[in-house]
Parts: sequence; structure tokens; C-alpha cells
Amino acid sequence: MFEPAVCLWLVPLLPLAASVLIAFLGPKILRQHSHWPCILAVAASCACSIVLFLAVRELPISESHGGETVAATTPSIESHITWFQAGAVDVKYGLHADGLTAIMLVTVTFIGTLIALFAAGYMHGDPGYPRFFAEVSLFIFSMTGLVLANNFLLLYAFWEGVGLCSYLLIGFWFTKPSAAAAARKAFLVTRLGDVGFLLGIFLLWHMNSPHSLDFAVVFNHPERYEHWLLAAACLLLFSGAVGKSAQFPLYVWLPDAMEGPTPVSALIHAATMVTAGVYLVARCTPLFALVQGVEVVVAIIGCFTALLAALIALTQNDLKRVLAYSTVSQLGYMFLGLGCGAIAGGVFHLFTHAFFKALLFLAAGSVMHAMGNIIDMRRFGGLRHALKITHATFLCGAAALAGVPLLSGFWSKDEILDAAFERYSGGHAYSIVYLVLFVTALATAGLTAFYTFRAYFMTFWGEERVPPEAGNHAHESPPIMTIPLIVLAIGAVAAGIIVEPFTHAFSSYLIGHTSGFGRAEPGTLNPVLMILSSLVAFGGIGVAWWMYVREPGTATRLANRFRGAYQLSLNKFHVDEIYEALLIPMAAVTGLCRAFDLYIVDGIVDLIGQVPRLVGALFRPVQNGLVQFYALAMILGLVVFLLALAR
Amino acid sequence: MTPVPLLHYLTVGAILFALGLIGFLARRNMILMFLSAEMMLQGVGVNLVAFARFRGNLQGQAFTLFIVTVAACEAAIALALILILYRTKRSLDVSLWQELREPGQDPTVDEEPLPPEPKEVPSPTLTPSGVEPLQPKETSHV
Repeated sequence: MFEPAVCLWLVPLLPLAASVLIAFLGPKILRQHSHWPCILAVAASCACSIVLFLAVRELPISESHGGETVAATTPSIESHITWFQAGAVDVKYGLHADGLTAIMLVTVTFIGTLIALFAAGYMHGDPGYPRFFAEVSLFIFSMTGLVLANNFLLLYAFWEGVGLCSYLLIGFWFTKPSAAAAARKAFLVTRLGDVGFLLGIFLLWHMNSPHSLDFAVVFNHPERYEHWLLAAACLLLFSGAVGKSAQFPLYVWLPDAMEGPTPVSALIHAATMVTAGVYLVARCTPLFALVQGVEVVVAIIGCFTALLAALIALTQNDLKRVLAYSTVSQLGYMFLGLGCGAIAGGVFHLFTHAFFKALLFLAAGSVMHAMGNIIDMRRFGGLRHALKITHATFLCGAAALAGVPLLSGFWSKDEILDAAFERYSGGHAYSIVYLVLFVTALATAGLTAFYTFRAYFMTFWGEERVPPEAGNHAHESPPIMTIPLIVLAIGAVAAGIIVEPFTHAFSSYLIGHTSGFGRAEPGTLNPVLMILSSLVAFGGIGVAWWMYVREPGTATRLANRFRGAYQLSLNKFHVDEIYEALLIPMAAVTGLCRAFDLYIVDGIVDLIGQVPRLVGALFRPVQNGLVQFYALAMILGLVVFLLALAR
Repeated sequence: MTPVPLLHYLTVGAILFALGLIGFLARRNMILMFLSAEMMLQGVGVNLVAFARFRGNLQGQAFTLFIVTVAACEAAIALALILILYRTKRSLDVSLWQELREPGQDPTVDEEPLPPEPKEVPSPTLTPSGVEPLQPKETSHV
């Protein structure tokens, strides 16, 4: 049962089975018990992931071959069945588990289990209860499949599966026009990136002389590719990641995705959706590492997104929206890390971010639950006595996100900053760019601390205000919702310090057990940098405290003083409007395309459709109803047949 | 006495079949068409029996028995059908039944005039027998 090769298949198939089960039995039989298959399957899948994780740890660590890029020699757990064969091409349903996959799997399924538990309480009484859990199971199936796939084609299939599930879940309350629009937007915007991803896959296919899309083949000796082709392929793959992981300029769908139920937001932001892009870039490290120009592009886009999203988050009044922009910003950090060649740093930030972002979203969901679905921070305040557990856990998450020393977010963010700084000081070809990125990232860290604690203080401090929708009385959520919060809070506080800074267990596991990631280097702690980033974090928190607790009027006064800047940030730098203004003229082009399709393409199709009719009209007189004619036809046919035989 | 060779039987079968075929195609009278079809069946039957004899086993004969049985059933049904068709149109002409053609087609009408009806030749009549009519009496007395 717990053979690693079996677990490899169980991890994705258990959630799929749960999804099918709920979809068929949910509406009539399971009804309000629909969460059980989902929770049990995802928990079992989590157990299998841990088995895989331990099994991967038993494998021998890859050897480094001097200075050259390490070939795909690292052993991993593999299993495959053939999907289809066409000529020499052999596409397989191949699953594999190595260091990167194992870490992703444990993160996804563990967070997924807690979110499913929380959702059982949060979604209680919703008419779409079974549908919700069927879709959540399908979502986790797609994501686990995505990280397990061992070739690009299967990866792409699951990639689209994730996109579909996010569409279904963001538009879960599809009767609300805004939810339906948000779902459509998420699907279309990510689709835009996917086109690039697909082209990138084609290009990789073309570049490999025995055509193959298996990771083992593609990443084997990547230096044999032509440089400019490799750069183009990497940029195209990155465009897919930009769409999925909500980076500038395709980040606009993520904040709107708040229209879905809160557990879905937590799932999308922490575990199943946006991390896919980071995973893709991390997986393709052997390719990206060879083209410095593309690495810089990744780092610049990541850093710019981090800054832009942080600036927007400063003034948002919707609690979930602040968190959404902070996710965009933190994803930017992850790409900055990957762009600086710090794979371990980027993936480590993904890992810790999953904990505290899931925690923050679920805590925000708990606040919404108590406030009668009101999420505007101006409508409530001072909830720290009414919602004790939610308050404590939210504080843990906020502190981790802000980068308070010793909490998980601090360590991972520090590793990324450290990598950027090393690129500068190490005499890299683009060292000046990396210096700018480092300073920007440090400033963004301060902004992060400020807006996170702004949200925290606005929600939980000040005088107690409860909107009338909550019946003027706030109540703590039931245990099924608070227990996941507590578990996640422990993770957000402790996960970072346990696995990385002193033991380097995380990075040596990741680098050592994943092929093409080079060689595990014992990272050094940079005390100056750590003190600097702690100062920035505390500075941000202090400003937030001063503006929203000590002198509550300051924020309004500053907003009036810098009205232009404030409005710009509040209106999200008008990015949506700019896109709309750019896209409306495109409508003329689409009209032209439509006319072409309607009159020319359809005309040809209709013409072809007429051919059988004409041929039929030609032969119709044969059916003249005369018995003797039919008999004659039969005999003529017989004669022809006999002549053909005799020949 | 030398046995009749196989070819002779087959020739008889082929002739029967060909006659039936021609009759089926050339006739419009439903009963005659039916009889022609039966004749074709019997031609096949002769063939089968001949082959059975030639090969020295009974398979062909078994087939022939089947054919005869089925032909009997078929005859019962066909004659019943013909009877019904005749009652509807008061005619046995098969070309009156063309309704199963594709819609929108003109019916096929036999434009060649029928051969002129042979003049009805009155049958020669015999003088009815009976009492001899009165004849004028001879008046000469020689």
C-alpha cells in the first residue's frame, strides 16, 4: 500500500476519486456530508505525499561534475503508463517525484487539507455545498498532477486543469454578475499567458533532435541548444508563468478572484494555483540558468510586480483585496529569487508563504463569517476581544508576512534579498540591475510590513464596531474553522526557523534531490542584511501603528495632503482602465475577424455542405418506385459482381 | 447405363433460373411474377440436388428441403398479399403500385400504346335445336 510507486499514483487519484464521488452522489445522497470524501481523500493524499517525501530523502544525492551543469543524473521515483504513441513519439502518463515535487506536494496537500476542513465550517448551509467540494477535490487533483508530471505535455494538461478549476471556483456563486465576470477574467487573462507557454513547449519540442518533451531529455545537457532559441523558449515558458502566477502585466485577474468563496481564495493564493508558475520556472532552472538575460527579465518583472502590488495594497479598504495584492507582491518576491538564481530561496518563500497566506485568508474568512459577509475594513474595527482566536492567528500570519525576525516570512525573504545582493557584489554581468532590484525589494519589504499591519490594526484595534449585517454582535467561528487556523499559525511562526536558517535542511533537500539544480551550497547568514530587513519591517509596523492606533486621524490627513498619489493607489494605478482603453479598439479587429469567419469560412463550409445534396439530387430518380426497375438494378448489380469475380 | 453427368443437371438448373429471371423482369402481372420467382428457386434447387449427388453427401438435399419449405411459406404470404392488392385496385398490374418512389418525382407511365385489342370474333353459332319451324308446304302436285 505504501510503496512509493503506488503513492505516486494515489496522490493525484485520491482527490480525483473524491471529486467524482461527490459529483455523482453529492446532490442526492451526501448533501451536507459532502465534505467528508474531499477531506479524507486530501488528507490521505497528504499522507502519501509525506511517504514520497521520505522516500525521496532515502535516494542518493546527485554528484556534481566539476563546474559544468549537472546532467539529469539525480535519481527520482518514477512510474508511467503510455498515453499514446505516434511514430517515434511516445507520450506517457508519467509521474515522478524528486526534491522539488515532494516539497510542492507536501505543501499543497497539507494546506489543502486544512482549507478543506475550514471550508466544511465556512460553506455550511450553502446550496452548492456538494459542488464546492467536488470542485475543490478536482482542483487539488490538478495541482498535484501538475507537480508530479514528468513531461511538458502532461504538465500542460494539468496546467489547464488548474485554470479550469479556478474558473469554476471563482465563479462559484455564478448568479452574482461580478463573480461570473471575475471568473471569466481569470480564465481569459491566464489563457493569454498559456498561449506563450504552449508556444514555448512547441519550441522545446523543435529544439530536441530526437523529439521529446520528457523533463529528463529536455534538461539533459541544455548547453547543446542554440543560445537564442533557448532564450526564446525560456521567455515563452515564463510568459505562461506570468499569467498563472499573476505577475505584471497579467496580474489583474488575481485581485478580482476575491469574488469566490474565501476558502477558494486561500486555496488559489496559497496552495494550488498561483504557485504553479513559480513551480514551472523552478522546474526549468537548468534552462533559465544558461541565459542570463532571461534571468534578469524574470527578476525585474518579479521585483516590479512586488513593488506595484505593494503600492496598490497600501490604500485598499477591502481586507481580502489587501491580502490579494500582498500575494501578487510576494509572488513577485519569489520570481525575484528565481531570477537571482536562488532556487532554494524562491521555493522556500513559496513554502512559508503558503502557510501564512492561507492563514491570513482563512482568518479573513473567519472575520467575514462573524461580520455577516462584510469585508470592508471601514465598516468594522476593534474585533480583538470578540474574535480572540482569529485575532491571535491573524497576528501570527501578519507578523510572518511582514517579516518580523525569527518568523517564517523573515527567513525566506531574507534569503531572496541575500541572493539579489550576492548577484550585485559577486560581479555579475548585470550587477547594477541587481543592486536596483535589491534596494527596491528592501523598500517593498517595508511597504509590506506597513500595509499588512494597517489591515491588522484597522480590523482588530480601535473601538469595537460591528456592522448591522452581523446583527451588531460578533461571535467567534466554530472549532472546525479555528483548528485549521491554529495549525496554520503554528506553521507560519515555526516552519521557517525549523527547516532552513541553521540546518539548511530545506535547501540541501531541494537542491540535492532535484536534477539540474546544481550543487547544494551551504548558505551563509548575512547578519548586516538581517538587521537591515528587521529594521525595515519594524519601521513599517511602527508607522502603521502610529497612523492607525496612536493618531487615527493621520491617515485621512495624509490622504488629503497627497490626494493625487492616494487616488492613484486607491484606483490601482488605473491598470484595468488602461487595459480596457487599449483593448476596446481591438474590438474593431475582432469584428473583422468575425465577419471573415461568418462570411468566408462559414461560406466555404456551407458550400462543402451542399455537395452531398447535389450528388443526392443526381441519383434521386433511381428511386422511382417501379418494382421491375429495382429487380433490374439488382440483377445488373449481380452481373457486375460476377464479372468482377470472373476477372 | 452411364450416369447423367453433372453438367446436364446444371444446365437444366440454369435454364430454369434464366427463364424465371426473364419472366420476372418482363411480366407485370403479379401472379406471373410470383410464379417466375418460384421457377428461379426451383432452378437453384435442382443445382443443389445435383451437387449433393455429385459430392455424395446430403447437405445439398437438406438445403433443398429448406428451400421447398420456405418457398411454401412464402407462397402463402405472397398470394395473400397479392389478393389484398388486387382487392384495392381491381387489377394485378404491378406498375399501378409506385407510391414508394422519392417524393417530387413523376410516376412512370407506360407511353407505348398497348397492342390493339383483338377484334372480338363472334363465335360461330349453331342453330338451336328444337321443334322444326313450319316450312311452306310444297304445293305442286305432279
